[in-house]
Formats: sequence, structure tokens, C-alpha cells
Amino acid sequence: MMSTAVRLRVGLSATLREFLREPLNVALLVVLPPVVITSYGSMMGAFPRLHSMDAAPGTLGALNGTLFVATFLPGVIGLFQVISARSADERLAVCGFQRPVMFTSRLLAVVAASVLTAAVSLAVLATRTDVADPAVGFTLLAFVGVLYGLVGMLVGAVLPRELEGSLVLIFLADVDELMSSGLFRTDSVLVELLPMHYPHELFQSAVGGETLATGTVVASLGYAAALFALALGVYTLVAGEGGVLG
Amino acid sequence: MSQTRTTLEMGLREYARTPVLLALLVFLPAYVILFFTRVVPERTVPVDVPGAGMLAVGLKPTVAALMTPMVAALIGGIAGLFLMQSARDVDSRLVVVGAAPRAILFARFGLLGFATLLASAVAVAVMSLTYVPDQLAPFVAATVVSGLTYGALGVLAGLVLNRLAGVYLMMFGPFLDIFLAQSPLSEGAPAVAPYLPGHYTVEMAFDAAFTAGVDLATVAGGLVYLAVVAAVAWAAFSRTLRST
Repeated sequence: MMSTAVRLRVGLSATLREFLREPLNVALLVVLPPVVITSYGSMMGAFPRLHSMDAAPGTLGALNGTLFVATFLPGVIGLFQVISARSADERLAVCGFQRPVMFTSRLLAVVAASVLTAAVSLAVLATRTDVADPAVGFTLLAFVGVLYGLVGMLVGAVLPRELEGSLVLIFLADVDELMSSGLFRTDSVLVELLPMHYPHELFQSAVGGETLATGTVVASLGYAAALFALALGVYTLVAGEGGVLG
Repeated sequence: MSQTRTTLEMGLREYARTPVLLALLVFLPAYVILFFTRVVPERTVPVDVPGAGMLAVGLKPTVAALMTPMVAALIGGIAGLFLMQSARDVDSRLVVVGAAPRAILFARFGLLGFATLLASAVAVAVMSLTYVPDQLAPFVAATVVSGLTYGALGVLAGLVLNRLAGVYLMMFGPFLDIFLAQSPLSEGAPAVAPYLPGHYTVEMAFDAAFTAGVDLATVAGGLVYLAVVAAVAWAAFSRTLRST
């Protein structure tokens, strides 16, 4: 019998190999961050400084673009990790692989993508604005990547096909991004339910050299822990069964 | 004609067999428009309306008028992308067994039109709960054209990109184009804005939402843009059917 560590390694290496087999996937992780961050920064730079903005529009745009790309690239990878591998995972389960182990190996691939995207995104951001605390900034970007990777995995476990999963993820991601963009300021508690709400505040503090608010850190970690538990629970229950809504 | 009808019916039946998809086509536009019209604060902002210059307009109607074509674009783009990804192999086999490529093309584009119309209708209906555009019909037209334009672009993306790259494109594209580059809240559009797919449709939407007239040149521009993109998508899809 294979140990859990070996199974994790096998699962991760298979997932990474599958991803790397298409060079376009890797190219996207490297090419998209500069394109999105630069476009976002320059387009938002044309906005007037609204009273809802905490920084100059161009700087805020680059910062938003960095979070946007560092978050949603791993999110989509998380989605496809689960949806495209559903039947394969079911066969692995028949062969004795435990679902939590399969979930973890897929999550590790998301973590790898998050780390790579975070590094590239932060490097691009640093060319447009000063990043006061790069280490914390990098950690936060990788963190939001994993957070959205979990969202993608959860959506992928619940919905039966790529079309439906992509629709949900894109709408959630774009709404989340718009609400944290600084274009609107609202007191609605609905906004606090969005995954990027707290990490956005933290990242802005890290870039600006401010101390991270303990309450916001705790809220972010709590959100991530709850999301992890939910994604793991749903995946374990329904993966391979056609999805909850299938 | 009967081949077109049969293929279209099969596509619609596949949609009907996946109620989750139909529910999402209704729910997602409603959710986005409702969410924004609920959380955006009540205040007035200066908006550069193409047909009327700077106007003081409520932020809620402004955001609703911007989000409605964007929602249609997102749904159209993703529907076009996956339509192509899922139909390519099947359609090639249909051609091998004697189906006319033209009939398949009409049916697939008809299906894309159905998804876009449904999403547009829901988006405009929900928007109307908060703000009714001054000219409803042109506003609906702007929303539908926005969805169809991005739908045709989604078809092209489905032909040349894999699904991961296609989803990235459809995630970032409409957002950067419609919400940032075309935003009437912006003081100056970026140089690339007039060439982007959302340019004419957002101008049409804002004219229709807040003025009594829509510039015919803008309408023509939007329709020409759609015709060109749709023709390219049609030709590319047709070529795929014949070459496999």
C-alpha cells in the first residue's frame, strides 16, 4: 500500500504534468499578469480621484489588477482541476485513493500556480509603484490565489460542467473585483461576504507600508479556513457523483 | 432548413436537459444587477454621455446602465466559447454523415443568440426595477448587440485557444473593455478604447439610458462591428467543419 505522502506526491506530479503538457497554460501564467496589471492601471488612471479611492487612480488600478490576476488565474485552475478530473478521481477512489488525499493533491497544484502567479504579479506591480513590504505582499497574493483556488474547487465540485462552473466563477470574480476596486464605497454587509474583501484591505496596507489590522487578518484566515472546510467537505461528498446540482 | 431546425432543436433540448445552465442564464444576470443596484450608494456623479455631454446622473442608474451590457457580454462570450469547445467534434461528425455545414452554422449561432437574448432580457428587466432607460428598445438592442459581439468573439476564442485560455480571455476581456476602458465615469478614454468591442454598445446604451435620442452613426458602428466579428467567426467555424 502506498503511504499518504506518496499518494500526494503522485497526485501532485500527475496534475502538474497534465498542466505543463500545454505550454500555453504556463505562458498564460507569465504573460497575463503584465497585460492585465498594466491595462488595469492605465485605464483606471484616466478616472478622476473619487472620494471612495484611498490612492491615486492609476496606483489603485495597478494594485487592483495585481489582485485580480493573482486571484483569478488560480481560481480558474482550481475549477478545471476538479471538473475535468471528476471521472479520473472516481476511478482513483475505486483504486483506494482517499478523496481527501486527492483533494489535497489538487489543492497543492493550485498552491503552486498561486505562488508562481503571485511572484510574477508582484514583480510587475513593483515596476509601477513602490511596494513597501514585498514579503508580506507576496504572501498575501499567494494567499488570495489559494483562496480563489478553493472557490474554484468548490464551484467545480458542485456544478456538473465547465460551462456552468465558468459562468459562476466569472460572475463571482468580476463582482468581487468591482466591489473592491475603490470605484464604489458602500457600507453594505453583503460586500464583506465576498472572498476578496478582507485580503484586498490587507494587500493595500502591505503595499502602502501600513501595519496589517489584526481583525482583518483574523477575518481573512477565518474565511479561508471555512472555505477550505466547505470545499473539502463538498468535494469528499459529491466528487464523481455528477455534482450536487447535476 | 429542416437540418437547421433539427440541429437547433437538439441544442435547445441539451440546454433544457441541463436546468442548472438555464437557471444560471437567468439567475446570474439578475444577481449581478440586483447586487450592484443594492450596494452602490445613492449619489450623483458627473457622467460623460456621448449624445449629451456631461450630465449629473445617479450612480445607481449609471452602474446599472454599464453592468447590463457587460453582463450580456460575459454570458455571450462564455456561451460562445463553450459552444465551440463542445460542438466542434460533434459537428465535424455531422458533416461527415451528410449534414450541411451551413445548417449547422445557423443552428449553433441560433443557440448562441438564444442564450444571449435570454440573459439580455433578464438583465434589462432587473435593471428596470431600479431605473427604466429613457429609450427602452434601443437600450435592449445595445445590450443584445454587446452580448452577440462578445458571443462571436467567444466562438473565435473557442477555435484558437484551449478552454483555460478562453475562460481567462472572457473573464478579463469584457471587464477591462466595458467597465474600465468605456466607462463614462472616466475623464479620458484610453487610446485603444474606440477599437474595443464594447465601444459602440456602451455609447448606445448610455445614449438610450439617459437621452431622448441615439446617434445613428453609433448604432451603425455597433452593427458593423458585430457583423465583422460574426462574419469572421462564421468563416472560421465553417472552415473548421470542412477541414476535419
